[in-house]
Amino acid sequence: MCAGIALYWRDLPQNLLEHYRLQTRIVRRTPEAEPEVRFMYRDTRPLLPAWFGNQLGVYTWGNQNPKSRLPKTGWVRWEVIEAGLWSRLHPEEVQIPASLGLERGVWYQIREGVRGVLVYDEQRAPHIYMLTQPADHYYRVMTRHSRMPMLLEAVSQPEFVK
Amino acid sequence: MSCKHVGHLDADCFYVSCERVRFPILRRQAVGVLGNQGACVIAKSYELKAKGVKTRMPIWDDVKLCPEGIFAKRDFHWYEVISRRLLAILQQVSPQVEYYSIDEMFFESDSLPDVFKMPLPQAVKALQQRVLDELNIPVSIGVSRSKTLAKLCSDTAKPFGTRVLCDDESIQAFLPTQPVEELSGVAERSRRKLAAHGIITCADFAQAPRPWIRKLLTVKGETLWWELHGEAVQPILAQRPAHKCLGRGGSLGGATADRLRLQGWLTRNVERLVEELDFHQVLVQRLAFGLEYQQGGSWSMRARLPEDSASFDVLIFAGQELLDQAPLPGPVSHMFILADRLAPRRAVQNSFLADPVPLQKPIANLKREVNQRLGRFAIRSGQTLHLPDIYADHTQDYDICDIRGKICF
Repeated sequence: MCAGIALYWRDLPQNLLEHYRLQTRIVRRTPEAEPEVRFMYRDTRPLLPAWFGNQLGVYTWGNQNPKSRLPKTGWVRWEVIEAGLWSRLHPEEVQIPASLGLERGVWYQIREGVRGVLVYDEQRAPHIYMLTQPADHYYRVMTRHSRMPMLLEAVSQPEFVK
Repeated sequence: MSCKHVGHLDADCFYVSCERVRFPILRRQAVGVLGNQGACVIAKSYELKAKGVKTRMPIWDDVKLCPEGIFAKRDFHWYEVISRRLLAILQQVSPQVEYYSIDEMFFESDSLPDVFKMPLPQAVKALQQRVLDELNIPVSIGVSRSKTLAKLCSDTAKPFGTRVLCDDESIQAFLPTQPVEELSGVAERSRRKLAAHGIITCADFAQAPRPWIRKLLTVKGETLWWELHGEAVQPILAQRPAHKCLGRGGSLGGATADRLRLQGWLTRNVERLVEELDFHQVLVQRLAFGLEYQQGGSWSMRARLPEDSASFDVLIFAGQELLDQAPLPGPVSHMFILADRLAPRRAVQNSFLADPVPLQKPIANLKREVNQRLGRFAIRSGQTLHLPDIYADHTQDYDICDIRGKICF
């Protein structure tokens, strides 16, 4: 799957960093390394950046509120979306920019980003879920996980958002 | 060879450097490039190396040594783009350039002082800087009187260094500092043979009697001996000599004993081999086929083709017969197919027999044309449908052996 992502800091506009107070998420792996902005599902307030429409914003990653009608997770299988099982939530497609992904301790490169869906809760607050698909051989060996995020560079992409 | 000085350019952690060109987040980080299985590091940055990670080490061990390491997927298409631009830069400053491998090139360096209007050592540094400025790729460069010495110079100048050794005195001072296994061509077996006779350094090697070296290490050893004496007996090969054989194969992306999957791999390898035979305009007389097993051990067999051919149908039939004879004591990890006894197409007389399947040729031509226009494997044999995962992963489409014109694999 993908427990977190990191974005090259220059790929996030300064106003977004300030508006969402993301400076605390800026990390350098070593003192010489380029800074990156990390978004982890285990964060106290899990967030994800996403392109929705033509705008880049920062949204709540999944749902951790047991009282909400939204699924209490941060990921959704694209098979589920394609089968229409989330149609009551009216999912809309988003693109999650990412430079790196994290799974089971392995930081791996992401070339473009990850596909996701945006749904609204009862208060009309937007939430982002990361889309996953069965892991290919490479990803399964690398991370030892049976699911992988739907990467934007992947060629076969489902037409799930109606 | 007419030139006095040979240069050797070696890109520093080339695959990682290529990834850093297009993904700045990787700069100054511990980065490993993984092979197509996602299991082992095939190239690493100096930062990752400093953590103790070695090439071919499994990723689960790498992560323990360097939890902050970043792992990227190989992309030989991109590496070739950079490699060819590197070659082009060298061709601008040197009349003779050998495309030795994707990240190593030999070149005649006598022209450098004229090109850069400065003495040779400074001109070498200027060339290194030009490569960095134009491509953002760090390279190390060695210059000396032979290919062997030039390579030794660049290897010992890494990372991002230059070393110019042209006069006898500096070469004599340098050779005792280099273990003999640093020589390209002296692997572990040769090293042990030499060590048994007290030959530990390159200086020991150069001081040994030449006929004795030849007896111990054949003509390859003698070549090294001459080259260490500054005699450039290995020329710079600006053109790759014609292939004596062409092969395709490698890892199966996870070991398998499934006959259908093996059939799929055989078909894929034959289709890739036919592409090469077409490109080089050769026919093949004999086909060799080999398997390596996950539990160790291997099996191989050769078959003479009924006629010289580059036809997919002829080769797949021969390959299938070989596969059918292969024992399967357990899962297969690697498969190889090798075409040898190659003959130029124009030199071979057409068979007097009529084409047994008249549609074969037009279908093969159509397949070639469509794939040239729409992309490799746009049309492929139905037998490859047993490998859906391999064809879904487009980084598998292009391998290092598909980069043509290199001297070395």
